[in-house]
Amino acid sequence: MNAPRFQHEAMATFWELTLPGADPAYARQAAQAAFREVDRLEGELSRFIEHSVISRANRLPPGGTLTLPPDVLACLLLAAEVSVATERAFDPAFRSLRPPELPPELPPYFLDPETHRLTSRAERLDLDLGAVGKGYALDCVADLLREWGFTTAHLNAGSSSVLAFGDESAAGAGWAAGLVDGDGTRVAVPLQDASLSGSGTDEQGEHLMDPRTGQPAAVRPRAWALAPSAAQADALSTAFFVLEEPQIREVCAAYPGIGAAWLAADGSLRGAGTLAAAVATGQRTRA
Amino acid sequence: MADLIPFTRRSFLSTSAKLGAVAAAAPYISRAAEVGAKGADTLNVAIIGCGEEGRILANAAMPIPGIRFAAVCDIWPYNLTRTERLLKKFNHPAQPFEDYKDLLANTKDLDAVLIATPDFMHAEQTVAALKAGKHVYCEKLMSNTVEGARSMVLAAREAKKLMQVGHQRRSNPRYQHAREKIVREGKLLGRITNISGQWHRAVSDDYGYPNGQAIPEAKLQKYGYANMHEFRNWRWFRKYAGGPVSDLGAHQIDIYNWMLGSNPRSCIASGGVDYYKNHEWYDNAYIIFEYPTKDGLVRAQYQVLTTTSAGGGYHEYFMGDEGALKMSENPRFTKLYREARAPEWEPFVAKGYILKPETGEGAAAPVKPWEKPGVKKLAGPAPRGATVDVRETAQLSAWDIPVTLDKAIHQPHLENFFDAIRKGTPLNCPPDEAFASAVTVLKVNEAIAAKKELTFTPQDFIA
Ligand SMILES: NC(=O)c1ccc[n+]([C@@H]2O[C@H](COP(=O)([O-])OP(=O)(O)OC[C@H]3O[C@@H](n4cnc5c(N)ncnc54)[C@H](O)[C@@H]3O)[C@@H](O)[C@H]2O)c1
Repeated sequence: MNAPRFQHEAMATFWELTLPGADPAYARQAAQAAFREVDRLEGELSRFIEHSVISRANRLPPGGTLTLPPDVLACLLLAAEVSVATERAFDPAFRSLRPPELPPELPPYFLDPETHRLTSRAERLDLDLGAVGKGYALDCVADLLREWGFTTAHLNAGSSSVLAFGDESAAGAGWAAGLVDGDGTRVAVPLQDASLSGSGTDEQGEHLMDPRTGQPAAVRPRAWALAPSAAQADALSTAFFVLEEPQIREVCAAYPGIGAAWLAADGSLRGAGTLAAAVATGQRTRA
Repeated sequence: MADLIPFTRRSFLSTSAKLGAVAAAAPYISRAAEVGAKGADTLNVAIIGCGEEGRILANAAMPIPGIRFAAVCDIWPYNLTRTERLLKKFNHPAQPFEDYKDLLANTKDLDAVLIATPDFMHAEQTVAALKAGKHVYCEKLMSNTVEGARSMVLAAREAKKLMQVGHQRRSNPRYQHAREKIVREGKLLGRITNISGQWHRAVSDDYGYPNGQAIPEAKLQKYGYANMHEFRNWRWFRKYAGGPVSDLGAHQIDIYNWMLGSNPRSCIASGGVDYYKNHEWYDNAYIIFEYPTKDGLVRAQYQVLTTTSAGGGYHEYFMGDEGALKMSENPRFTKLYREARAPEWEPFVAKGYILKPETGEGAAAPVKPWEKPGVKKLAGPAPRGATVDVRETAQLSAWDIPVTLDKAIHQPHLENFFDAIRKGTPLNCPPDEAFASAVTVLKVNEAIAAKKELTFTPQDFIA
């Protein structure tokens, strides 16, 4: 199958769109529109762009407030949902400097969806959408591609977040995606109108903080999340990276439609929720 | 985990949450304090041209207190609907129009219009709005012709209404600080002898549009467009605009004039349509201006390249015998360097004009953005190309400018426009100065075509 593929660099990673079923020139223009959308979102969501909305939020004085464009509000609301669902194993603002009197159950900022405003409760807010922004941008790109008439597409951000809709082939099984376990075995996960995201340590073993403790997490080597949207999958995979097994299973049981997979201490691949079946019986090949 | 939020594809909260209704998310949700001026102070504003820039202006203007979008206009329903929806999300009662004439005739109590249509429409729409008694914020380039730009200056004068042209760097606090404190008061650059400036961008494909969103041919022609391709890619065609020299160069060449407080006396330039097959305008150009200033001659070079992202993006680099100042809308490219022969700069640190090296915005960032710690692996297509480090490490010899732009990049320029309407604040880009910049930019294309040096008199820059 040689559907047209298009590449781009943004948000410090590479992006690749696979767009079958259209005239290649049309697909190219759609991809270009999609990548401009990613760049635009980076300009709003990146905390490393001085005038981005997130950078401005991070410079708010205590009690300061800021009007959010719709995408920033939507991304922050999604982040709030995942934060609540994972009891702050995912927390986009855990590095913030909190005033001593702020009750621990309150996050260092709040959102007013009606007036589109963010208000800081922190001495210094430190919002970082690095673990949800790429996924959010994938969701926006998927919307844009649907608007351009695509009924099937595969969207990849840095091979750490993948979103697919429609079918790769006539077989109706969605797009082939997969998890790579500890000893290099690839476990097939068909992806259709859903997103798969992974988090893992690399060889240098960078430290990941556990937002709940502010201490380096006792991490497993790798974790994945499957979710209806890429923003959720992106954020959830970060949470599954630091959560204990029973808590991961709890999240999957509480939220239908969510899947988790992770490498256990003994190197075995475990799964829960919508990823349980794939982990148990998915086709295995050498990656 | 009581009160579950179902995970659907979109945020549950953004579509259905009323304040406090979702207990589980309650810690993140609360009512914001009232802000901003209400009442008599409100300005009714409309946008004409709802493309990429029109939406940027809408987003930059909405947080400004007392701005109420009463109407929007675009001939393309696809863009019109999108912007109308955006404004309505923020409770602006924006009434949609296809034709700007209907908007001007039918919007009650309209104070001002923001014009962000392709350049060839600026003069007609600006003049009509001024005649209708509205203040106008018009995007750069003011017009694609000198006559068009002149008609705008005259109309503003006659109507006694304000017109601001969208050279937003002039309102950027970092640019203002650089001009007022570093260059003029502190004279840190000594005598400015040269400028170099550039905008480099990689090859980009022509713009398209979703199937089913084409404007019917008769309507396109009514509004002056040959076809959908030209309508979407107007920048590259002579009928509608001035190509990259005006599209990108306008911002920076305007800053040359603004920083020096002078207009050039000559221009020599070379450029061509050397790469793109279906464009009319020069896709690359090299330009040299001579500026007479009270301190002596400044020779200024500018280049715009549209087939490479190499060479450091976009900046305006002012070089003097005691220091050099590299300005950019992107703070990453902004830097200040001291010549060894210059007087010590410590006193300017004490005065708050500059920052010691490695302490400002340019200092190296400790973490990589967008990266979860570690490598994340999914089986999928292999990665292409390396990831890029978003922040370059600051140079040791470099000094920093202690000013941060704390708003969307167009917001200060819009605020200046609204303050001018409300309180008589002087405009940062008034018609006569915008006219001089438009002439400077438009002469470049003329110089390229003529293949010889063009010389100017001060009179050429006066409408
Ligand atoms: N200041 C800046 O930083 C900046 C940046 C980009 C563009 N601009 C300027 O903004 C203007 C628009 O550029 P853009 O990038 O948004 O282009 P665009 O093509 O994305 O948008 C132009 C919009 O104008 C509409 N339009 C065309 N003719 C019209 C008419 N007669 N009446 C009403 N609407 C009409 C089009 O349908 C389209 O929606 C240009 O003058 C450009 O130079 C300024």
